[in-house]
Amino acid sequence: MKKGRIGWISIVATFFILVGLALVNTDKIHADDNTYQIGTDVTYPPFEFANDKNKYVGIDIDIMKAAAKEEGFKVNVKPVGFNAAVQALDAGQLDGVIAGTTITPERKQKMDFSTPYFKTGVVMATGKNSKVKDFKDLKGKKVAIKTGTAAATYAEKIQKKYGFKTVTFDDSDNMYSDVVTGNSVACFEDQPVMQYAIRTGIKLKIITQPLTSGSYGFSVKKSHNQKLLKQFNAGLKKLHEDGQYGKIVSRYLGEKAVAAQEKEHSQNSFWDLWKQNKDALLGGLQQTLVLTILSIIFATAFGVLLGLMGVVPSKFANGLSTVIIYIFRGLPLLVLALFIYTGVPNLIGQKIPAFVAGIITLTLNEGAYTAAFVKGGIEAVDDGQMEAARSLGLPYGKAMRRVILPQGLKIMIPSFINQFIITLKDTSILSIIGILELTQTGKIIIARNLEGFKIWTMVALIYLVIITLLTWLSKWVERRMNA
Amino acid sequence: MSAKIEVKQLRKSYGSNEVLKGLDLTVQDNEVVVMIGPSGSGKSTFLRTLNKLEEPTSGQIVVDGHDLNDPKVNMNKVREKIGMVFQHFNLFNNLTVGENVMLSPVQLGKVNKQEAEFLARGLLKEVGLEDKFDAKPQSLSGGQKQRVAIARTLAMKPDMILFDEPTSALDPEMVGDVLEVMRNLAKEGMTMIVVTHEMGFAKEVADRVIFMADGHIMEEGKPEEIFNNPQNPRTKEFLNKVLNV
Repeated sequence: MKKGRIGWISIVATFFILVGLALVNTDKIHADDNTYQIGTDVTYPPFEFANDKNKYVGIDIDIMKAAAKEEGFKVNVKPVGFNAAVQALDAGQLDGVIAGTTITPERKQKMDFSTPYFKTGVVMATGKNSKVKDFKDLKGKKVAIKTGTAAATYAEKIQKKYGFKTVTFDDSDNMYSDVVTGNSVACFEDQPVMQYAIRTGIKLKIITQPLTSGSYGFSVKKSHNQKLLKQFNAGLKKLHEDGQYGKIVSRYLGEKAVAAQEKEHSQNSFWDLWKQNKDALLGGLQQTLVLTILSIIFATAFGVLLGLMGVVPSKFANGLSTVIIYIFRGLPLLVLALFIYTGVPNLIGQKIPAFVAGIITLTLNEGAYTAAFVKGGIEAVDDGQMEAARSLGLPYGKAMRRVILPQGLKIMIPSFINQFIITLKDTSILSIIGILELTQTGKIIIARNLEGFKIWTMVALIYLVIITLLTWLSKWVERRMNA
Repeated sequence: MSAKIEVKQLRKSYGSNEVLKGLDLTVQDNEVVVMIGPSGSGKSTFLRTLNKLEEPTSGQIVVDGHDLNDPKVNMNKVREKIGMVFQHFNLFNNLTVGENVMLSPVQLGKVNKQEAEFLARGLLKEVGLEDKFDAKPQSLSGGQKQRVAIARTLAMKPDMILFDEPTSALDPEMVGDVLEVMRNLAKEGMTMIVVTHEMGFAKEVADRVIFMADGHIMEEGKPEEIFNNPQNPRTKEFLNKVLNV
């Protein structure tokens, strides 16, 4: 009896120690209070985008960094996407957002803005050969917008009057592509961003004057981080005074800069693209693998534990197991990831780094699936095996470990392999909370060079190679265990 | 002779379906009791309540002076002394024949591994399967499986063995070998309760035959009394059917 208990206790203890370590790690990240976490968009050139070395640059980012340098504070700029950034700011996951955010009365209710740093207005653009001349031609057609932007708000305001439908995207480049391919007839975007995109090779044309006038501002959560806001304003003032501001803007909007971007858009052999982006993609792959391996370990531990809770002779444990499996199997992975990353911090008042949130998400979701087949595998072992073991005087735990589990495990192995592969693929969903894994890396590269077909082909091939390797490894383990 | 098992007013229900309707039975040390009766009469259920594979609904079971209703009684300890042989053998499929026999004595710290192997080889020899020590259960015939199952039970040195239709799942030519092993056990003085349809075995080996029907013990007595001169009409009817096929 004793030995058996110790075995189980050690499994449980290991699990919690690992979770504990993960949380301690989290605290370390937070310990450095001098560094502000600043959110930005994945792609909003010329304000923020990844350059050919996959480093984030742009007017917003350079202003933020220069202001920080002037005022002596540290920033860590995270490209999580505009919509995710705004939510994470509200959840307290981020300290500030600089993402070409137009200052509007609605946003002022939830955020405090810095002094404006760039003038803007909303424009409408269509495909190069489009027959759309003004809003009236939009009737019954589809229009692409980007979630949460001031341009989207404008489009939604006039939508009823002109009778068009909207299609929403998370990234500017996906929105442009939708118009270029003709799925949508037009899109709404901020003027400087739209102009820059067209100058660097996007096949669209602007057909309206700026429809609104506004300004971009750096934002913090309302009544929070006021010190950061003041420091930014002071820094921005200095940048204007000493000419740095002008230099930054011309760095991205000058003829030279635009020509360089344009050049990149025209280099497009598959092999060239691979050479250019190999390091970034392999870096993304590495992150994907780390996420996969950690998630598999945690999800397996959690799932086995939960599955066993489902079969032990305790009504309470059985019920608890069923409920947990029901909840985490029932929730879409995407919802669970957003809930943990932007929902939970609101509740507990503590930041959860995206990486940790990602691991927790996968552990809960994949663990629930694992638990279901662990439970099924154990139940598939003939009842007579347990009865025979108990009739010999073996206690439940010993009978389970020596007789039932070894047989159940054999039944479960194909399901485990399957689940490992699913876990690997599911890591791609974590791109939604800004983890720079393989899919997110692909997205960012495409945001820069617009080579959707070729880059997604590369990403797909990398996934297939890794999944093939994982399958071979699993089959090898399976053969070893059955031998 | 002293009482090994005393059962008083034992009842067992599944929902509203009462399977055992108040049984009383005393089994003495070294006694061989054979239970016969039609299918569904509750014989197997009765047997399985004796080592609590089935929880009785009410009534009292005393094994070797341990009242099984007493929460202080360690059921695992009681089971060590009551062997059980199943209709479908239930050999552990993940272990070899030898490991099947050695598992519980080693796991329960009765003997060390070497002693267990010596013991197991001896027991397998007794049941005529000494050459199957390293075989997997899947490679054995039904009769061989059942003899391994008996050796496995004997490895715990039980005071008594419950046999739950030990030959019902066997091909006819396999039955003899298993009954032979059981006959030898009876000769050596093992206390046995055997649920079976082998009337020949009952006549020859039983000290007492019990006829069960509808959850009741209808009649009990020495084999010659039951088989030659049954009193209860249900017994007569049953024996007529099984003996004149």
